[in-house]
Amino acid sequence: MLSLKKITKQYNGFTALDGVDLEIRPGMIHGLVGLNGSGKTTLMDIVSGQAVIHRTGGFSGDFEFDGIRRYFTRPAQAAAAGIGMVHQEFVLIPGMDATDNISLSNECVKTWTRRILGRDLAMIDRRGNRARAETLLDMLCPDLSPDLPCGRLPVAMKQFVEVARELNRNHLKLLLLDEPTAVLGPADADRLLDAVRRIAQKGVAVLYVSHRLEEVAACCHGVTVLRNGRVKGRLPHDPGDLKARKPFTARLSELVAGGRSTSGTFTPGQTGKRTPLLEVKALRVDKAGDNLTRLELTVYKGEILGITSLSGHGRTALAPGLFGLCPAKGTIRFNQKPLTRLSPENMIKNRIWMLPEDRREQGILADHSILDNITFAPVQSGQNFIKTGPLPFMRTWDREGCRAYAGQSVKELAIQCRSIYQNAGELSGGNQQKVCMAHAMAMAPDLLFVGDPTRGIDIAAKASVLTLLSRTREENGTTLVVSSGEVNELKQICDRIAVLYNGQLFEILDPDRDEADFNRSCAGQRADQ
Amino acid sequence: MKNLGVQIPQAVIIVFLAVMTGAAVWLEIPLTWIFSDALVRLAMNGVLVLSLVPMLKAGVGINFGLPIGVVGGLMGMCISVNFGFKGIGGLAMAMAFSLPVALALGTGYGAVLNRVKGKEEITATFLGFSFIPLMNFFWTVAPFSNPAMLWPIGGKGLRPVIGLKKFFAKSLNDLWLVDIAGVRVPVGFLLFFFLLCILLVLFFRTRTGRAMTAVGESEDFARLAGIRIPGIRILAVILSTIIAALGICVYAQSYGFLELYDAPLMMAFPAASAILVGGSMGRHTKMAHVVLGTFLFQTTYLISGPIANELMVPEVAEIFRLMITNGIILYALLYEGGKTK
Repeated sequence: MLSLKKITKQYNGFTALDGVDLEIRPGMIHGLVGLNGSGKTTLMDIVSGQAVIHRTGGFSGDFEFDGIRRYFTRPAQAAAAGIGMVHQEFVLIPGMDATDNISLSNECVKTWTRRILGRDLAMIDRRGNRARAETLLDMLCPDLSPDLPCGRLPVAMKQFVEVARELNRNHLKLLLLDEPTAVLGPADADRLLDAVRRIAQKGVAVLYVSHRLEEVAACCHGVTVLRNGRVKGRLPHDPGDLKARKPFTARLSELVAGGRSTSGTFTPGQTGKRTPLLEVKALRVDKAGDNLTRLELTVYKGEILGITSLSGHGRTALAPGLFGLCPAKGTIRFNQKPLTRLSPENMIKNRIWMLPEDRREQGILADHSILDNITFAPVQSGQNFIKTGPLPFMRTWDREGCRAYAGQSVKELAIQCRSIYQNAGELSGGNQQKVCMAHAMAMAPDLLFVGDPTRGIDIAAKASVLTLLSRTREENGTTLVVSSGEVNELKQICDRIAVLYNGQLFEILDPDRDEADFNRSCAGQRADQ
Repeated sequence: MKNLGVQIPQAVIIVFLAVMTGAAVWLEIPLTWIFSDALVRLAMNGVLVLSLVPMLKAGVGINFGLPIGVVGGLMGMCISVNFGFKGIGGLAMAMAFSLPVALALGTGYGAVLNRVKGKEEITATFLGFSFIPLMNFFWTVAPFSNPAMLWPIGGKGLRPVIGLKKFFAKSLNDLWLVDIAGVRVPVGFLLFFFLLCILLVLFFRTRTGRAMTAVGESEDFARLAGIRIPGIRILAVILSTIIAALGICVYAQSYGFLELYDAPLMMAFPAASAILVGGSMGRHTKMAHVVLGTFLFQTTYLISGPIANELMVPEVAEIFRLMITNGIILYALLYEGGKTK
């Protein structure tokens, strides 16, 4: 059905895929696993004909589908060839009911009107659509009525509607599932797996991408493991053999992570003597695509705590939750006192500050000068650079002090710019990050959250940003919580690294541990299993 | 001055103006007269144009709800006229009376705009439109008693047009009038306008002013820095409304008439057009845009009238004006819309 040979894809000189082979026969469910950045998404994009592939210069290698050599430039071409894809994010129209969503652009029409008016103006046969939707939904999830509007369906149901829509395609031959269970609970995930199996029995080939290795072991007839854009292993598997599942999962996780586990378990007991600075209990943060379901975490005074997880498992949600940027609920104690109001003002009052990961949108004012950017929050909140007059309302803004501080920061952090009056938007990513850090240091916080400090920064700047972070602690005694997907970078600066899985704390690892241990842990596997 | 780079609206208007001036010379319309009038018109309309700046800077969009501020100013002037205050003092009193009215109206207006984030401009347009009929009702029943303001027959309800000649017409226009080479320069009037500009520039150098520009630029950044965004946005709307109220006071004294009822309806479009001609694009608005835009736009208005009357039928001038005004707004909206894609 699908046959890929020596597929290579480069993005601006960066090799995302390097000679990948993959073969799926009709009726087979094939698993595709790998860490973030291993090339899974790129491979899916190629097969489903996403425009980004063609725009960035296409790919090389043989891509055969249904016996014909293919090169799709648009998703519509892939759909016409019989390839359906269920995306991680929902693509449903909330106001329409399930029937309409499933049948959209692929409706049953009244035949006689089509003869007269043509396909585009033909009358839609609602009853026929409903019957088709009902049959499909019966197979996937019998208690979901096709008349419910999609906007208010629970996530699991939405996922079923998505799958049903792809199945409604007339000649569906290959179904691509990108992390279909990421948003589902265990019971719903099982139901979805059942549905996928039934789809496969009808002769449809399925490419199943997931981080959850147990699921892959439970349904796939074969698995391809990608690492750094290369095929690291290809394992045949019999999903019916229950006994084989556990060892198979273990082998997979080894292949995914690479390298063997270092034995011995880490005891987080040594930190017990230190004073806790921030205690988070049962914290729930609703951040789109990166929820925290129930986080229990203690940050100790003076440490650098790293937070990592696969994307979608909650590593970026803690600081936005505390700052009230996303709805959050839970018990939070800071400096032994409860923190109830989760808002930026309250956090600033408690000397907590965050460097957002989305630097361009939230971290800097692109059209303001470096000077304004570095001194904005201290002046606005009255924390710094304020001259007090003889009367309380006569406080003014210490412009001289601001200029001096900005000049000094530019020199100390080696920010490359023409002058402190240059607009921050004109700087490179690394220099913008340094501006953000100078801004943070001007606030002199006790606790600083840093989100993905090295995102979009070149290698040389990465190193200096990391050095700066650890210098902040040494010089000002600031406690840092750094969240990042780059475990290697966290290992360089952190005292402890918390690994989140499914929106909860999975375990806290020592930074000396092997990278493989982190990868295993991120995928939800205990090291001693 | 790099943000003043000539873009399409300026280019169009400058070419148009050059052609007009050429035609004026050719038709022997005295240039000194045109220039004197242009200066008056700059100060007369400049304040109304200036009133767009706070809202633009705070990212609330073009103040198409300008009629709301105008109504505040009309109220202030009516009260002043009702008391019979005269001369520059009368104008000052009118401005003073209009401040609390504009403050109250601006607060409500701002609160509404905070609820429709992202659709402020269309909401403001219709808020302005729907507010006028409401005020029409008010003008007919308002308890003013000065006979100079009331309908001559019946003695109830305000007249649509109140002559200010006996009160404070031209009081600011004629302040410190200086004749330079045949051009009458209204020094006092221009000074008043520039003073307001400078005050606004100074405001944007304060903490609150900088918070306002930050909100306009990135709400996320401002929120993280602990700024209360709704408050800042309401403040911007209030400021815009107050300056608009002052603007109509200045405008009316120069025009010599106080126009009530439907007159404020279309006030917003020439002002919006002028600031766009000046080169303002959204929150990148500078005082230079205000001054340059008002001057170019109003001079075009001024010059096209007599020339069209001379060369074609008189109505043509008005047609050209509307084409320019609305065409420029349309261009600016298209340009803004195109940029986000």
